[in-house]
Amino acid sequence: MLSIKNLEAGYGKVKVLHGINIDVPKGQVITLIGSNGAGKTTTMRAITGMIKPTAGEVTLGGEKIDGYDSHKIARLGLAHSPEGRRVFTTMSVTDNLLLGAFPRFTGSRPKGDIKHDLDKALEMFPRLKERRNQLAGTLSGGEQQMLAMARAVMLNPEIILLDEPSMGLAPILVEEVFKIISNLKSQGVTMLLVEQFAAAALNVADYGYVLENGKIATHGPASKLKDDPAVKAAYLGGAGGH
Amino acid sequence: MMKLKSSIPLLIAIAGLFCLPLVLQNPYYIHLAETILIYTILLFGLDIVVGYVGQVSLGHAALFGIGSYTAGILFFQLGWPIWITIPASIVVTAFFGGILALPALKVVGPYLAMVTLAFGTIAQILINEMTWLTEGPLGIKLTLPELMGAPMNVTEYFWLVAVFCILALIVIDRLVKSQMGRAFEALRDSPIACDCMGVSVYRFKVIAFVISAGFAGLAGCLYAYSEQYISPNTYNNELAVLFLLGIIMGGRKSRLGAAIGAAIIVLLPKLLDDINLFRIVASIIAVVVVIGAAMALSKKVTTPRRVVVPVAGVVGLAVFSFWLNSIADWRLSIFGFMILLVVYYLQNGIVGFAKSFYQSIAGKAKTVRGGDAEVVDDSISFISAVGNQNAGAELLKVDSVLMQFGGLKALNKVDLSIKRGTIHGLIGPNGSGKSTMMNVLTGIYVPTAGNVLYAGESVVGKTSSDIALSGIARTFQNVQLFGEMTAIQNILVGLHHTFKSNMVEIALHLPRYKREEAEAHARAMALLKFVGLDDLANEEARNLPYGKQRLLEIARALALDPELLLLDEPAAGLTAPDIQELLRIIRKIRDNGITFILIEHHMDVVMSVCDTVSVLDFGQKIAEGKPAEVQADEKVIHAYLGA
Repeated sequence: MLSIKNLEAGYGKVKVLHGINIDVPKGQVITLIGSNGAGKTTTMRAITGMIKPTAGEVTLGGEKIDGYDSHKIARLGLAHSPEGRRVFTTMSVTDNLLLGAFPRFTGSRPKGDIKHDLDKALEMFPRLKERRNQLAGTLSGGEQQMLAMARAVMLNPEIILLDEPSMGLAPILVEEVFKIISNLKSQGVTMLLVEQFAAAALNVADYGYVLENGKIATHGPASKLKDDPAVKAAYLGGAGGH
Repeated sequence: MMKLKSSIPLLIAIAGLFCLPLVLQNPYYIHLAETILIYTILLFGLDIVVGYVGQVSLGHAALFGIGSYTAGILFFQLGWPIWITIPASIVVTAFFGGILALPALKVVGPYLAMVTLAFGTIAQILINEMTWLTEGPLGIKLTLPELMGAPMNVTEYFWLVAVFCILALIVIDRLVKSQMGRAFEALRDSPIACDCMGVSVYRFKVIAFVISAGFAGLAGCLYAYSEQYISPNTYNNELAVLFLLGIIMGGRKSRLGAAIGAAIIVLLPKLLDDINLFRIVASIIAVVVVIGAAMALSKKVTTPRRVVVPVAGVVGLAVFSFWLNSIADWRLSIFGFMILLVVYYLQNGIVGFAKSFYQSIAGKAKTVRGGDAEVVDDSISFISAVGNQNAGAELLKVDSVLMQFGGLKALNKVDLSIKRGTIHGLIGPNGSGKSTMMNVLTGIYVPTAGNVLYAGESVVGKTSSDIALSGIARTFQNVQLFGEMTAIQNILVGLHHTFKSNMVEIALHLPRYKREEAEAHARAMALLKFVGLDDLANEEARNLPYGKQRLLEIARALALDPELLLLDEPAAGLTAPDIQELLRIIRKIRDNGITFILIEHHMDVVMSVCDTVSVLDFGQKIAEGKPAEVQADEKVIHAYLGA
């Protein structure tokens, strides 16, 4: 589905990614873990076109998308739930969700039944359904995170990129967010998940990549990575779990 | 030695400046050069407000006029000499700068621009109407000042202006590199964090406007003598826009930028008066841009697509200049077009662009890691030693605090008691009122009812900066660093309270200021080393990875010498090893006797360091006790922890 080959990217003169390869097959959940400054968010930005890669290739469903603008990439079916949520705070929950479907309006009529998808998204996130007319800015942090994910779902995407969905959430909500992720997974949604909370991410994922200093240090099936002593020591040990 | 070497170009420039009238001979050109110097002085001051404090002012033409008229009136009505009119102009204009600052405390951005514009209009009208004082539209005639009994000639006056310009340069340069300049930048990047570092946003905004106006007053005074005639319509809003344009085109936060900006706004209109001169300059610009673009393309620092429009623009302008027969009809259109080109393509101004262009061409790659191997003096005590005496006594008492926003009770009669030397955890679901509590404790919110006693004294109604200075430091849930400033500068803002030196001491680099700066620098490096960021000291805070930004915030808070440290979700976004490091740092700070309030969602962090934990839900305290007790509490499990 999504394939990244020898990707290099950075900011100005500072190079962050030094040639990384990631493959996200259709219907699978792939997780990207690593410490602060390893380049996880930069990878996400390079995929979504928010920064332009300096070398390498990103393909989505066989189409080369590196160099495309973000809105064009979204229209090709790549949804992004960004770090720190970034919901439209002065708009209602429903309007936020409808905006998520905006890239589907390409011709004179939208692709698919948007009304139906809106109902489906609200079913999936009952807390949002209760608050559908509330302004997004008045939602709590956890509800905003759910809104960001629901908004991504509204694109009816080929793949969803989730950047730090559990950040700053109460333990009870972290649990709920991961429940939703596995729920989406069981519906066959393809996902690339970036998460500091590595243990939970590896539990839900099929395959994982470990990013260190802008390079892929190791990768393998999630169940194997979980037992890898090096990964355990660096990312799963002691603190960090709940 | 290094210092001497780097100041050689400056010394050559100064020598050249003084030789200029001897070379130019023509009084018209000397006068033009003099005007550039005077505008440069004004732009130095305007840059404080625009570049450092990040406010827009369209009132500086009026301040310039107030400076001119102070000199003009004292000269005309009282016949006072220049050595009195100069300080008088500075003081009077600085006073009006203080008045202009008052709206800036309430409004920002486009609203402030409108208010300052109104200030300009009012000032101009008043000068025009107060004929008994200002001679109104007739204007005031002046003569060049006297020097030892005889009037100065044009060259001598030029030298006088040059001396003041160099003095202004030195004073401004030293000011912006001192704790004052850092305070200005801090309040631009994050007013809220600035207040919580004990640097009063209110006070320093006013100071910035006052200093800025002082320079406008000096420039205005020199201008009055230079023109030998002043009238109200000189100081109109068009001039105010021109000044702002000078800063934007030259490049903000740069003395060279101010000088270039001044030269552009003085010379460009003159240039467009003469078709031949315009042809020459347009050709030179086209050649420079084409060569620059070719170099950039060959070094692969840009793409053909990005340079095509500016190159076509400047080449087109050069061709157009030769096609033109007369420039008179086209003057304003060309002026507008050139401004558009500069503002659109050189958003950091000419100096900012030249800097980054030079860096990319010369291949001076910036690396995030490494670089400065500054030796850190380990003997410095960088954490305030509160000591363990009185441990266990009550340091902070929150007494039935109610915080109401409209109908919503974000905090509903919450009591807390924080014991000295302990780590007090504050947990609860998102939106339960934890961050609101932090904001009440640090004076950002004033509670609707109830009281907060810190070391026996009520903090309710005190400003954030006063509370910070009394010993309560904090970090923020969504990191509030001063983004454009380097890591070490961020810490130095936290150390602002250690500076006692005033403006005069800074301008003259007197021993006390130099000692304070050196001590603060050494302590800032020690603090950076403590959180493991000493090798990133000169990196801009906004370029640091998220986790390092959180550590930098803690180090900055420690710089305040706090007794009570409030940490708002310090572990959010950190990986397991980072969290271990954070715990080590927290314990080490606690061992110095500092008391903590810790908001955190990572339960293992809360469980491993907290002595007491309070749980909030919907603005009410639902549980309190030792970590293990709270963890087993049914209500807490239901509301927060989950099964």
